[in-house]
Amino acid sequence: MTRHHPDSLSLMEYSAGNLSEPHALCIRLHLDKCSHCRSRVDTLDSLGAVMMEHQPKVSVSESMFDSILSKIDSEPTDEAVATPTPRVGALQKLLGEDLNSLPWKRQLGDVSVLDITDRFPGQKEQVVLQKLAAGGKAPAHTHRGEETTIVLQGAFADQKGVFNQWDFVVLNDEDEHKPVAVGCEDCITLSVLSAPVKLTGTFTRMLNPFIR
Amino acid sequence: MTTLDQKPASSEGRKDPWSQMLQKVGKNQDREAYHALFEHFGPQIKYYAMANGLASHAEELVQEVFVSIWRRSCLYDWRKAAASTWIFTIARNQRIDMLRKMQRTSAEMPVETEDLWQIPGDNENEPVTSLHRLMSERRIRASLSHLPEEQITVIAKVYMENKSHQMVADELNIPLGTVKSRVRLALNKLKVILQDQNV
Repeated sequence: MTRHHPDSLSLMEYSAGNLSEPHALCIRLHLDKCSHCRSRVDTLDSLGAVMMEHQPKVSVSESMFDSILSKIDSEPTDEAVATPTPRVGALQKLLGEDLNSLPWKRQLGDVSVLDITDRFPGQKEQVVLQKLAAGGKAPAHTHRGEETTIVLQGAFADQKGVFNQWDFVVLNDEDEHKPVAVGCEDCITLSVLSAPVKLTGTFTRMLNPFIR
Repeated sequence: MTTLDQKPASSEGRKDPWSQMLQKVGKNQDREAYHALFEHFGPQIKYYAMANGLASHAEELVQEVFVSIWRRSCLYDWRKAAASTWIFTIARNQRIDMLRKMQRTSAEMPVETEDLWQIPGDNENEPVTSLHRLMSERRIRASLSHLPEEQITVIAKVYMENKSHQMVADELNIPLGTVKSRVRLALNKLKVILQDQNV
């Protein structure tokens, strides 16, 4: 179980570029707001650089350098590439500006869900947004398989603590909890499920971390 | 153990020679410095491509990475990352990008590779923590030679062959827990893990 921050092993898989796109998205969203984890990734990126220089040498030809030069010479030398443009974040590209106005599907009581797996073509995991209405409660439940979650809006609490915006949580079948949305906003999370969910009953159609 | 000892010590203390050269490329489009970077990092990137199954695209990857280095060098800030770290992240992203493009059309990619994997120094508003970042690379280089070979092997497979911890376990025929504990031990010694539990 990992709570609030990704563990070092996950950050290493991220730094090495080995994570699936949905998992990388969860880490990236957290890194954008957590300077502590970003500095851990900086160190891991340096480890990658040192591993790269640590390998056997192969040769590169001068003709390759010449073709690189002709590539850069054929490019326009405008200032546009030199100016960092304000980037639109991954979340906005995927989901637009307003999370609250997405086509949510009410599941049960305070819980709504939206499956966005189709935004990640070719990826094996299921990717789901969940919304727990402000002040709302989800029934107690455990988790099947491993589920990585990041809080996108608001906050939720369970017996282990309070999870605020951009907190990172990994839960598995040993974690039983009973989350409550705290604060005056609806709590919205993004979850990546490693294994496809097995549908066995009404409650199992619900997804973590609120309900499965 | 090929180049650990040949890394030049910097007379400026904090800025290593490759970072100085990269800065010259960024500021003055210095082609001599660019060529020196190619001679040093080109072979590393070519090996990187070969190690992770892109052998038939190795030269293409080297070219893509160097065009990207040229294009982005004006954004490079030596206080945010050493040149080798910055170039590693560009190589990693170009590899991921190449694989993504082989697997699908651009219409199927609402999110770009750089939206998911960050290049140090891009899109950062926080104050620079240069000393920490540069020290960490130097420290890693120095302490890597003290790690047991079995730990280096696992880390090399993760970084160079891009294998997940599970795949490394399968290949070496050892339990996943053993792979993870070797990684943890190594990261501990390299001081990547400071205090996982108390962050």
